[in-house]
Amino acid sequence: MKPRENSLLPLEDAREAALFFVVGALCFLAALAALSAKSTYGAARAWTAEVEGEYTVSLSGADATAADEAARLLAGLDGVITARAFSDAEINALLEPNFGKSGLPADLPVPRLIAVTGAADAEDLGARISIALHDAGHSAAVDAHAEWAGDVRHMLSISRIAALSIVALLSATAIAVIAFATHAALLARRDIVDVLHVAGAKDRFIAGLFERRFWLLGLRAGTVGALVALASVAILIALGRSGAERSGLLPQLSLDFPDLAVLVVTPVIAGLAARIAAGITVMRSLRSVM
Amino acid sequence: MTQLRPDMFDEAAVRLDGVSLRYDSTEEILSGIDLVLKPGSFSFLTGASGAGKSSLLKLLYLAQPPSQGEVSLFGRPTSRLSRDELSAMRRRVGVVFQEFRLLNHLTAYENVALPLRVMGRKESQYRRDVEELLRWVGLGERLHKRPETLSGGEQQRVAIARAVVTQPNLLIADEPTGNVDPDMAARLMRLFYELNKRLGTTVVIATHDLGLIRQIDAPVYRLADGMLVQENGEVAPTARRRTDPLRAMP
Ligand SMILES: Nc1ncnc2c1ncn2[C@@H]1O[C@H](COP(=O)(O)OP(=O)(O)OP(=O)(O)O)[C@@H](O)[C@H]1O
Ligand SMILES: [Mg+2]
Repeated sequence: MKPRENSLLPLEDAREAALFFVVGALCFLAALAALSAKSTYGAARAWTAEVEGEYTVSLSGADATAADEAARLLAGLDGVITARAFSDAEINALLEPNFGKSGLPADLPVPRLIAVTGAADAEDLGARISIALHDAGHSAAVDAHAEWAGDVRHMLSISRIAALSIVALLSATAIAVIAFATHAALLARRDIVDVLHVAGAKDRFIAGLFERRFWLLGLRAGTVGALVALASVAILIALGRSGAERSGLLPQLSLDFPDLAVLVVTPVIAGLAARIAAGITVMRSLRSVM
Repeated sequence: MTQLRPDMFDEAAVRLDGVSLRYDSTEEILSGIDLVLKPGSFSFLTGASGAGKSSLLKLLYLAQPPSQGEVSLFGRPTSRLSRDELSAMRRRVGVVFQEFRLLNHLTAYENVALPLRVMGRKESQYRRDVEELLRWVGLGERLHKRPETLSGGEQQRVAIARAVVTQPNLLIADEPTGNVDPDMAARLMRLFYELNKRLGTTVVIATHDLGLIRQIDAPVYRLADGMLVQENGEVAPTARRRTDPLRAMP
């Protein structure tokens, strides 16, 4: 049997293979940028949410009993969810990197630490903790994580804007290059356009053939590019995880909605760009004949 | 068989009124040509290489608008047609290109069927006709070969089959027998002649081949210096003289 209806255009030639590669590579970059922008976004959110409402209280000149008592006092404060004094073991673990396994000299005065988690909407909690402890006769310093989290958040929002700009720039470049490459691939197919034209094919018919062809090409190349980008991100994160113990700060990779959206939107945009470019190129070259 | 339409009798199949052509703004290839071809007529177009035969034919198959003047087909001035109307008119014209213009990714059979597909015909309707036509031009064994694997003469016959497969009202052939031996040339001429006689197809053949011209008793138009002259030596009745005196020098 011979090939039928869709064979008015050649199956694929080297030029289209090159176009496929270009479209695929650009979609890979754009999808990678979008995915990393999204991860940055997600990580920043998780991170700041984690430190939001966290306080560390250090009591100087207090023993374990006094620390427990202070923790109970804080737990009773309005807006405090939990307040817990660190045990000796925990404090030693925190200090170990600096003082080694042998532990501290028993007579070295080490501040006792209390971890406080406040409600996110609790007002002036840091100040109120300070006052409550002071009134109870403790000498305490309160470290609100949110204070430095604010700086982190500021940094993150800047890098988020940068990531989004990169996504926008890469997408625009990808669209332009796809359009240009489609145009070039089509100029080489001028013979087909001419023969169909002289045979009496309407402009829309000829343009439609090429539009379908390049829509599918863009879609397939875009899918490959987006999938490879997704796989790369997964590999990068897996590598990062295995190398770092404190992986909580690394972006989570799960196939959630934004990832799926990138996976779907990238090929569709590539397909549309190729299709529209093909339509415009063919129509324009037909208009120039007669 | 022959479809009788009013325009076959009332209107010229081809009419050129004061047609000039220049490609870039340089010299005129065709200058003020007037020509009337009746429906069902058979004509030859001849002239030296570079005289503008292919260019004149390009105007007739509506691939090129004239720089000046009007080209009318089947009684309709083409300058006033919409793009879709021009497409519809092209379907009534079969063209054999001097350089064939076969599509290399299609087989001989698919190349011949291409105009039928453009017209939206179903393969079940045309398959046998296409195969029979290809057999008739001696390519029964080459139906599913690609053009690049065919000889020049074989490609030419595929190109001819593609031009006649739709039974066009106007058949335009540019050097259609340049690559075949005299026997095949005679056979192809008979094909054109039969189309002309049986279906009333208006035929215009451009050729240098005097042997070919002698086979058929038909008017011969000669292009020289951008003008169209009838072969018996007279200037075609309606043709105008060029105004450029230098061009008239021998
Ligand atoms: N597309 C084009 N653009 C510019 N000049 C052209 C174009 N096509 C043809 N010409 C010029 O027009 C002149 C006539 O060319 P044409 O092909 O019509 O001649 P011809 O009579 O068919 O010649 P031949 O017998 O060799 O086929 C030539 O000088 C050619 O260089
Ligand atoms: Mg020529």
